[in-house]
Amino acid sequence: MSSEIAIRCQGLGKRYLVPARRRGSTMENLVGHFKEYTSLVGRDEADYFWALHEVGFEVRAGEILGVVGRNGSGKSTLLKILSGVTDPTEGSAELRGRVGSLLEVGTGFHPDLTGRENIFMAGALLGLSRAEIVKQLDEIIDFAGIDRFIDAPVKRYSSGMYVRLAFSVASLLRSDILILDEVLAVGDSAFREKSEKNINKIANDGRTVLLVSHNMQAIRHMCERAIVLDKGRLVADLPADEAVTNYLRSIHPDEGADLRSLPPLVDLAAVESEDWPRPFKTIKSVETATLSGPTRVFQTGETMLIRIAYEMPRLIKPCYFTVFVVNDVGERMFVSYSYHDQEKSEFPQRGVIECRIEVLPLLDGIFHIDLDFGEVQGLGGLRYLDYIDRATTFAVEQGNYLSIRPNLKNQGLFALRSRWLAVG
Amino acid sequence: MVGSLLDRDTTTSMRVKFINAGRRSLLPSLSEVLDHRELIVLFVDRHIKSRYRQMALGIAWAILEPLFQLLLMSVVFGFLLRVNTNGYPYPVYVFAALIPWQHFTRTAMSVTGSLQDNLALISKVYFPRIILPIAAMAREMFDTAIQLAILLILAAFYGYYPSLKLMLLAPVVLVLISLAGAGLGLWAAAIVVRFRDVRPALSIALQGGLYLTPILYAASVVPQNLRFLYQLNPMYWGVETFRWLLINQPLVWDWTLFASLMLTAIMTAFGIVIFSINERTTVDVL
Repeated sequence: MSSEIAIRCQGLGKRYLVPARRRGSTMENLVGHFKEYTSLVGRDEADYFWALHEVGFEVRAGEILGVVGRNGSGKSTLLKILSGVTDPTEGSAELRGRVGSLLEVGTGFHPDLTGRENIFMAGALLGLSRAEIVKQLDEIIDFAGIDRFIDAPVKRYSSGMYVRLAFSVASLLRSDILILDEVLAVGDSAFREKSEKNINKIANDGRTVLLVSHNMQAIRHMCERAIVLDKGRLVADLPADEAVTNYLRSIHPDEGADLRSLPPLVDLAAVESEDWPRPFKTIKSVETATLSGPTRVFQTGETMLIRIAYEMPRLIKPCYFTVFVVNDVGERMFVSYSYHDQEKSEFPQRGVIECRIEVLPLLDGIFHIDLDFGEVQGLGGLRYLDYIDRATTFAVEQGNYLSIRPNLKNQGLFALRSRWLAVG
Repeated sequence: MVGSLLDRDTTTSMRVKFINAGRRSLLPSLSEVLDHRELIVLFVDRHIKSRYRQMALGIAWAILEPLFQLLLMSVVFGFLLRVNTNGYPYPVYVFAALIPWQHFTRTAMSVTGSLQDNLALISKVYFPRIILPIAAMAREMFDTAIQLAILLILAAFYGYYPSLKLMLLAPVVLVLISLAGAGLGLWAAAIVVRFRDVRPALSIALQGGLYLTPILYAASVVPQNLRFLYQLNPMYWGVETFRWLLINQPLVWDWTLFASLMLTAIMTAFGIVIFSINERTTVDVL
C-alpha cells in the first residue's frame, strides 16, 4: 500500500517567453513587441526563461511531500503543471487518482454567491458530483466553523472565514492527491492547527499531499520528505528535516560553511546594523566554548560557555547582558538574563563576562546567538544600549544524551533528562 | 524505482492522469467534459445569480432592456421613418428578428470573452476549458428564452398566436444560431487572450452585421442580383426563419440555405479545433 507511487515526474521543465525588453530605437521596440505576439518570427534561446528544468521525483501514496525554495524557484510552476493548469515544455508526469488543488485561497469563489453555493462551485471545479459534495457538506461547514453564515454571500465574510471555508472545501473533498500552495499561512492559530491535523489525517488515509510552504516549521512538522528547488532545478530530495536545513543554508551561505572550521571567537567591535543602531558599540566580541576549550560545536547536555568582551562608554550600574538563542528558522529557543544571577548586576566598566549554561538543552541543529546589553532602570525598566543580531552561530549534536541509540530524530524541542524511580 | 513496475498493476483501478510535454489535442475530451457537466450548470447559475442579485428589479432587467430597445426602434423606424414591412406590424416584425440576432451577437461576444473573463480561474484550477464557452452559450440561451416569452406576449397582442411549428422549431433554430455564434466566438476566444484588440473589433463588426441582415428592414429591399450573396449570411436564415415561425412570413428556401448551414458547420468545427489548440497556452500568455 504505502509503496504505491502516486506521483512520478520525469524531466519536467517549463519555458516561458521573456517579455520584450526595452531596447534602443523605436523600431527595435516595435520588433520586440511583435516577437512577443508571433511564434514564427526568429527567436533565440535568450528570449526564453526556464522556470523549471529537468525536475524529476516520485511521491508514494500516503506521503506528505514538502516543496521548498525561494520566490521564483519554480515551486508554483511545478504545482501548476501537476494540477494541469499549464502544460510542461519538456518531460512528463503521471498522477494516480483524482487531483485536487488549492493553488490560491478561494479559487472559483464568487463574492456574490453564498458560502453554500460556493462550496458546490469549488467542488464541481474539482470534478466532483453534486451527490459527493452533499455527502461532505456538513463536515465542511462544521470544519470551517461558519455554520451561521453559510447562506450569506461570501463577500460579507471576514477574511478569516473566507479562507477557512476555502481550505475546508479543498481538503475535505475527497481527492486522492491534494496539492496545496502556501495555504497553511491562513487562518488563526487554532484553525492552522486543525488544518495540520487534517492534512496528517489525509495522508494516513493513503492520500497524497504536496505542500508548498515558506513556513519551515510547518514543513518540518508535517512532511516526511521534502524537495528543494533553486532557480527551477531540483537541488535536494531529502527527509524533510535535512531538506529544510539544506535550504536554509543555501539562503544564508555563511551557515553552509562547516562550523568547525570557523573560529569560535567573533569580533563584533565594528558590526553595524540598520535595525539596531549601536551608538556605543559596547560589546566587542563573543566566544563560545565548552569546559575543555573554545568551539562552535556542542553536544547536547554539555556545559556551554558564552564569553562576551565589552567596554562601556562610562560605568553603567546596574546594567544587564542578555543572550538570546534562536534556531535556524528564527524561533527563539531560550533567553538568559544576567540579572537572574542577583549579585551580577554590577560589572566593571570593561572586561569579559561569561554566561554559563550548565546543561545545554538543545537538540541537533544550527543555532544563533543574539546579544543585548543595557541599563537596568528604576522599577525594573530596561534600556537597551547595544544589541547584536546573530552575533555568532553554533551547532549542536545530540549524540546519545537522550537514549542509548544515538541521534534519534523527532525528539521534541528540548532535551530533558529526568529521574526514574521504582516507587511502587 | 525498482518496485514501481510491480505497483503499476495493483493500482489499475485508479484513474491515472498523464501529463506530457508537447501533447496537443485537436478536440476537447468528451469524457472530461461529461465529468464536469455539473460545472456547466453551476457556471450558468453563478452568472445569473450574480448578475441579478442585489438589483431591486432583479430578473426584470432581462425584460426591460430589450423592451426599451424595441420601443425606441418602433418609434424611429415604425412611426417616424415608416419602413416597409410588407404589412406586418412593425414592433412584432422587428422583434421577431431582433431576438435571434441579439442571441447570435450575445453568444458570439460571450464566447469570445469566456477565456479572458475567467483568467483568474483557469490559471489556478484545471477543468476542461471548453466548459467556459459552453456555459457562455447556455446562459445566453437563458436570457433569450426570457425575451422570447415577451415576444410571444407581444405577438399575441397583435393577433399572432404561437403555432405548433413555432413551439417545435424555435428551439432548434436558436440552438443552430448558438452554434453559429459560438463558431465565431471560439475563433476569437483563444486569440483574444493574446490580442485584446480582437474583442472591440468583433463588437464593431457585429454592429455592421445588424445592417447586413434583414432586421430593421425587409429583405425585399435588397437588389435581386445580390440576393444570393446576401443570403449566404447564416443570420439571414436565422432571422427569416423566425419571422416565418412567428408571423408566417413566407420563407423561400434555396441552395443558399444549405450553403450557409455548411458555412456555419465548418466555422464551428474549426472554431473548436482552434480553441483546443490555443487554450493550452492561454495560461502562459495571460
